[in-house]
Amino acid sequence: MPIVPLKFRESDDDLLLFADDAGGYFKSDSKFLHRYALGRLEPSDIRFLHDHGHGFEEIGDLAYSGFEHRFASRQYVPHELDYIILVPTLRCNLACGYCQVSRVNENTPGFDWDEKTIEAVLRFLGNLATRKIKIEFQGGEPLLRLDIIKRVRDYCRVKFEESEFVICTNLQDVSFEAWKLLEQPDVFTSTSLDSNPLTHQFQRTITAEKTNTFFKNLAAAVEKLGPGKVSALPTINPHNPPLPQSVIDTFLDFGIRSIYLRPVNYQGFARRKFDARASAKIWNQYHSSFIDALVELNWISDQPVEEYYFVHCLRRVLRAGHNGHVDLRNPNLVGYGYLVIDHDGELYPTDEARMVSRIGQFDLSMGDVHSGLSRDTVDAFNAEALNNFHPDCVHCPYQAFCGVDLVDDLSRYGRIDLPKHLTDFCQRHTYIFDKIFSMIYSDDPKVRKSLAIWSGSPRFDGSLAKVHR
Amino acid sequence: MISLSIQVEPFPIVEPLIVRLQESGTEARSQHDAVLLDIDGHRREYNFQGFSFVVRTPPDECIDGDVLLVLPGQTSAHRLIRASSHHNTLLVTEQCDQLCVMCSQPPKKYHTDLFDQFAVAAALAPQGAMIGISGGEPLLHKTRLFEMITKVAVERPDIRFHVLTNGQHLEPSDVETIFQLGRERILWGVPLYSANRNTHDRIVGKDGAFARLELGLVTLMRAGASVELRTVVLQQNWSDLPDLATFINTRLGFISVWALMQLERIGYGRMNWDSSFQDTSTEFEQIRRAVDIATARGIRTSLYNFPLCSVPPEYRDFAPSTISDWKRKYLEFCTDCGARGTCGGFFQWYSHNEGFAALGPL
Ligand code: SF4
Ligand code: SF4
Repeated sequence: MPIVPLKFRESDDDLLLFADDAGGYFKSDSKFLHRYALGRLEPSDIRFLHDHGHGFEEIGDLAYSGFEHRFASRQYVPHELDYIILVPTLRCNLACGYCQVSRVNENTPGFDWDEKTIEAVLRFLGNLATRKIKIEFQGGEPLLRLDIIKRVRDYCRVKFEESEFVICTNLQDVSFEAWKLLEQPDVFTSTSLDSNPLTHQFQRTITAEKTNTFFKNLAAAVEKLGPGKVSALPTINPHNPPLPQSVIDTFLDFGIRSIYLRPVNYQGFARRKFDARASAKIWNQYHSSFIDALVELNWISDQPVEEYYFVHCLRRVLRAGHNGHVDLRNPNLVGYGYLVIDHDGELYPTDEARMVSRIGQFDLSMGDVHSGLSRDTVDAFNAEALNNFHPDCVHCPYQAFCGVDLVDDLSRYGRIDLPKHLTDFCQRHTYIFDKIFSMIYSDDPKVRKSLAIWSGSPRFDGSLAKVHR
Repeated sequence: MISLSIQVEPFPIVEPLIVRLQESGTEARSQHDAVLLDIDGHRREYNFQGFSFVVRTPPDECIDGDVLLVLPGQTSAHRLIRASSHHNTLLVTEQCDQLCVMCSQPPKKYHTDLFDQFAVAAALAPQGAMIGISGGEPLLHKTRLFEMITKVAVERPDIRFHVLTNGQHLEPSDVETIFQLGRERILWGVPLYSANRNTHDRIVGKDGAFARLELGLVTLMRAGASVELRTVVLQQNWSDLPDLATFINTRLGFISVWALMQLERIGYGRMNWDSSFQDTSTEFEQIRRAVDIATARGIRTSLYNFPLCSVPPEYRDFAPSTISDWKRKYLEFCTDCGARGTCGGFFQWYSHNEGFAALGPL
């Protein structure tokens, strides 16, 4: 009976983790590895492998087809363009040390869409084939151009059957008119909340007065709009991180129970101020302590809390077809499902690609909103954006769960062909999957409770941690 | 209990006839429409193409839009489509090649082909209806069945079907037909009782059934079909449920939903009740594990026909109300239950002194 190829990795319990290309996994010992490598599998090995979807009797049978289905479901296939990120202005009323998107001062002229660009953007939206649209306004501070937001919104509400708007705002200066906008049912608010008031002030608002304004506005937003309509992202400086508990407490104060931790991004003007290069290790340590803190909290609290990206990765381990998030997928084809229209009308596949292009590392633009979309550069780039044949990833048991981020490689190293294990991306993901498997194979009832919550099942069953001996 | 047949006065026909009952004052929308003329107590008189067609039914019963099958010489017509119900099922044959221990509709030897009439009836159903196709084993008459569904699909693209099949007769050559009918058109309800082939074969009373079923499921997967995988929970497969969840994860990840179903005490289910019924109100562990495994793996899992109070609180969200309106009843203690609105209750033929031991109002 044929067995599918298995990859393996040592784990901290003297066993080896084995995984196949469709994401099936189990643990066994080095004796099994020898039998497998030397082609001396015993009938009990073969039975185990067959029962758990790592083998089949003949091509086309149910075990084979089921494997094919799981493999195929793990490949991301882009859908039609239905998500547009708009940057109507680069001006901002804050000057955060790490500003990821780069920004200019509030009264600098020449960094807003002009009338011609606004019209071109509306025309661009008008030519989309989709019937549902999601528009995200970024900046700069988009609320500085409430007029543009309203024009786009009014246009979309007529043109599309369903539309949804996300305003990424620093909630620093929210006028009466702006509140009225945010209160509408199809408008969602996304903001930055850097861990706790102290860190927030240090990294973002600088003065106590501005910090107060922000926290007052955030409280008002949660109250007026409801926690379901407000999301907040913490940017963490791994060299000087806040205590996990203080981050969790701050978010819970605002009723936000899904926290997406993000390291300061090594891009744009950020790198002038923070050295984020080679910080994967300290980031991983911090992230791991954060997950441990969540596990402790979930054990005693009946209001569960999650770290968004960790849960995403956990679900990618457990399930095929969990390709819903742009930050981790394979192939990571950019420039199809969503794109960015910059303040000058240039089109980019992602926000990071916009930065890479801006600072002159590599031009990843896809044309501009006036003359239209051109995917030549991006498609050449996309041709490399998969891990299936990568000479390092093919040996990695995490390959089926993992993805690629070439824009990140490019922005950090100026190239995309570094050995994987030297990249920040690989180091972060090797850690995160190591952590996930150490939790899946843990007997600690606290860990199992959090895993159950995060995987969406009432209890986390022991058979999800199969060991073959 | 809602009756699925209805009294009619003898009508001079030689072929089976399909009639749709329309309220008075409406226009006949097709040659099958009978328009109400008069109600007199239990007697309702309709104008059917200029002839008098008479139905006997309690005066308060709503039968507007219902579709009847009238057979020559019979005074009882089949109510094929009840316009006010979401639970309309066409029993297209009583023949079957399996003999399951819990069969609610034990097979018969002979078959009457009424597919043409069923096609007409289905095309007269209300907008957006989902029509059940059941048996026996409908796919024993696969060609006729596909003809019927194709015909309805052309005339009424809004109609969908829920086909209950044992999956024994699906072959690679059917992939194209099923693909053409479309993923949205048919929900295939297919039973699988165990990942252990011997257990499965024993439950369905047919050697080699598991192997045939595997091929049938490959056919549905390749055709991109929507499948509701159905597992009746029995003493016979009780300890197999967690392994079955693993089997589904590795081989059947394409299904739309996995339904774990409580036993219906009718047909063979009644005959074999003592040796088959698993009291899940006193012992839930294997279901618990099966649901936990499947859910963590992202397989939508649902508990059909479970009274809510038989299910531990954390699992009640998995138990929608599934017993068809015309088969459903509640017991005395349900009167004070706060969950009655969301609980599906019991089958009419459920017998509480042989049933669940640990129930009570919530
Ligand atoms: S990037 Fe690293 S962790 Fe991810 S599959 Fe490749 S080798 Fe494995
Ligand atoms: S008492 Fe009756 S209505 Fe209430 S949950 Fe139990 S069976 Fe359902």
